[in-house]
Amino acid sequence: MLPEIAEVALRSVAISGAATLLALSWSLPLAYYVAERSSKTIATISEALVGVPTTLIGLLLYFILRNEGPLGFLQLLYTPYAIVVGEAILVTPLLVAVTYRVLANAIATYGELALSLGASRSQAMELAFTTSLPSLAAAAIMAFSRAVGEIGVALIVGGNIRGYTRTMTTAIALEVAKGEFWTALELGLILVSLTVVVSLAVRLVKGLWEL
Amino acid sequence: MSGIRLEGVWFRYGKGQWVLRDVNAEMGEAGITAVVGPNGAGKTTLLKIASIIYRPVRGRVMAFGTDPWVLGERERLFLRREIVYVHEKPILLRGTVERNVMFGLEIRGINKRRAAEVIRALASELGIAELLNHDVKHLSAGQGVLVSIARALAVNPRILVLDEPFAHLDYRRRGKLLGLLEKLRDEGKGLIVSTHDTHLIMRIADKVILVDYEGVREGSLSLLDQFS
Repeated sequence: MLPEIAEVALRSVAISGAATLLALSWSLPLAYYVAERSSKTIATISEALVGVPTTLIGLLLYFILRNEGPLGFLQLLYTPYAIVVGEAILVTPLLVAVTYRVLANAIATYGELALSLGASRSQAMELAFTTSLPSLAAAAIMAFSRAVGEIGVALIVGGNIRGYTRTMTTAIALEVAKGEFWTALELGLILVSLTVVVSLAVRLVKGLWEL
Repeated sequence: MSGIRLEGVWFRYGKGQWVLRDVNAEMGEAGITAVVGPNGAGKTTLLKIASIIYRPVRGRVMAFGTDPWVLGERERLFLRREIVYVHEKPILLRGTVERNVMFGLEIRGINKRRAAEVIRALASELGIAELLNHDVKHLSAGQGVLVSIARALAVNPRILVLDEPFAHLDYRRRGKLLGLLEKLRDEGKGLIVSTHDTHLIMRIADKVILVDYEGVREGSLSLLDQFS
């Protein structure tokens, strides 16, 4: 049982970590655009979508990825990649909503400082990002925690396949369904510990950065 | 033309109320232009438009005879590098004073050895030489202002724009900065200085721009009487 729990825990971290990185790759440019243009429309939409139910995203993604769906030919349904994509979509509004504020502040202060000293637009953008790194890291932790703790996407497009797409949350749901409440509780504690450890690790790096 | 000319400039933030309406003014030719006026009248906005940081909503700003906002990004950058704006509240980067003073030179790709010489000379002129290796976290507000000014002077702009430079300085440092501004003026640099301290600025200013809620006027030192 223990090796299986470790395997599921590692898979959860890998999937949610990959989803967070994938979401960062499009959320940060989008957040920078929102911050620079003061685009209230995108900001409002992002804030509204932060609480979107994970099952809804899972269901929509299922329709897209199933064999008859527009992206069915990719054969991603019931693979870890489908969960990565789904979780990345799930955490995008959260990342944009949090990071655009951080970047807006950085642009108003450090971006403007760089411009005032003769920096190009790209140099000003670089400074805005580097000075915001600790806060961006904190936003990434929030996104990771949201991804690792979700169940709707993992269950609907992952399928809870043992040894392949089973994550901590789908494993907990399965144990509860089987009436193995103590095992489910143990898994829950491991899940919470995982998010705390990742959070502490990033905070440590953030602390070293700020020294 | 050697300085900055604002021609029929209107400005507002987003869709808010107009901060500046139909402003016509010249500043920054060799000499010291004092920008005075009450809080919230638009002095900082005016200075940021003159420094090519903000783009006028209407009208145009001419810097050295050219409208920077009709130029491409690259050409505008070269023009913007001739005018350096120093914020009222010092914005300092994490790290040492030296790193901060060097920042503008780094942006311009000037090598570190050459930069170090410039920085040492400037720091000793501003009385912050002993602070070069200090972390900016431990600076007082006044020291932060001097670091910002040193950082601006390090890139040797043709026009230096100082937003309330005396606000956080004690009496001794005010005198020192006043002397430095006079020296820079004598060397042919254009200086635009906003301040509430009219008694101090009238000792060195060559012309005055009065920014109040009724608009912007420019003229001789006698304009200061209207503000005082």
